[in-house]
Amino acid sequence: MKNNLIAIAVASTLLGLAGCATTPKSNATLDQARVAVQQAETDPTVSKYAPTELDRARKLLINAEGSAKQHGANDPNASHYAYLATQMARIAGQRAHEQVATARIKAGEGERQQILLSARENEADNAVARAQASQAQAEAARNEAVNAQSQLSQAQAESQRLAAELQDLQASQTSRGIVLTLQDVLFDTGRSQLKPGAERSLDQIATFLREHQERRVQVEGFTDSQGTNEYNLELSQRRADAVAMAIIQRGIDAQRVRAMGYGEEYPKASNENAGSRQLNRRVEIIVSNGEQAIPGRSAAGAP
Amino acid sequence: MLTLNGIRNAFFCAVAFSIVACASAPMPVEKLAVAKNAIERAEQAQAGQFAQVELTSARNKYAAAQAAADKKEADVAARMADQADVDAQLAESTARAKQQEQLVGEMENSLRDLRNETLRRNNSGATTPRQQ
Repeated sequence: MKNNLIAIAVASTLLGLAGCATTPKSNATLDQARVAVQQAETDPTVSKYAPTELDRARKLLINAEGSAKQHGANDPNASHYAYLATQMARIAGQRAHEQVATARIKAGEGERQQILLSARENEADNAVARAQASQAQAEAARNEAVNAQSQLSQAQAESQRLAAELQDLQASQTSRGIVLTLQDVLFDTGRSQLKPGAERSLDQIATFLREHQERRVQVEGFTDSQGTNEYNLELSQRRADAVAMAIIQRGIDAQRVRAMGYGEEYPKASNENAGSRQLNRRVEIIVSNGEQAIPGRSAAGAP
Repeated sequence: MLTLNGIRNAFFCAVAFSIVACASAPMPVEKLAVAKNAIERAEQAQAGQFAQVELTSARNKYAAAQAAADKKEADVAARMADQADVDAQLAESTARAKQQEQLVGEMENSLRDLRNETLRRNNSGATTPRQQ
């Protein structure tokens, strides 16, 4: 009977094992679970992002260790819990990966906003800089206009001043230019030497020509009708030359000064009495209008 | 006779024992449902594409669990169902992690492009006023 009982127990155990256990596993599964759980524990992102899964993996490993201790390393429950522990540790790892990636995406969105914001700020700065630059440009243009205006005013004042100056010289504006007449009182009869009285007028003309480098001057000499034509022509030429020379001596380029003697041509008055003859004895100084050459008398007609 | 009776007794006892050990436990219907659910979640998370090995393992174990349940092997069915469940969970979490990491890659690329683009635009924008 005792033998029978032993036989029953052995047979039951064998049958029980055959009926319930899957293929017996080595403790390799348990080793693998230990490694997997340890790996998960040493990963700081796992304890941060998947503490629940990590905890489950630990408990499953403890179960596996318990079963192995109680029933041996090849106990089906030991292998089973070891497998679950391994998978749970891996799940913890994957959850942590996912959360790390999610956090990165969130941070990336912030970065994106920051880039766009600073780009907009930069663009605004650039716009401000452009606006400031064009404002400065406008300011410069306005200053330039003001300068031009004041230069124009200066030029106008100058020309008024000159006109007043020339008024002193009894100048008159004609189509050939400004005409100044020096009367014969500045020369002795029959002579071409200038008397000192002409100095002031010539100084004024020279000053005017120095200030207006573009203008030319033509000196024309005239006599009354007394004496021969040849003599008068020669005298008028000499007197014109004398005036031209006096202007050149005051520092005016000889290229800008021409002298012509017309004799008794182009009289101002009738030559019938002393008064009118005196008007005809004269030297006229024609100042060009700007740079243009002074037209000849025949072309332009008598002034 | 005694020996024959003993063998017979032993046989009956063994059968009774094995029934008590294996079949007396209820079938793990709930565990099977949990595993099935986990597999469906993994499929929805595109584990078929991103965690094929884990998903296949989960399906195979679920099939084994069902087969065991059909054979009234409750313990095997329960273990297989549990393993199918964790395999499916691993498939799902792996698929999610991979997809999220893919998104990170795409995001890093677009951030890099954006940085380059704004850098280029700022440089060209900033030189315009200085040229004046």
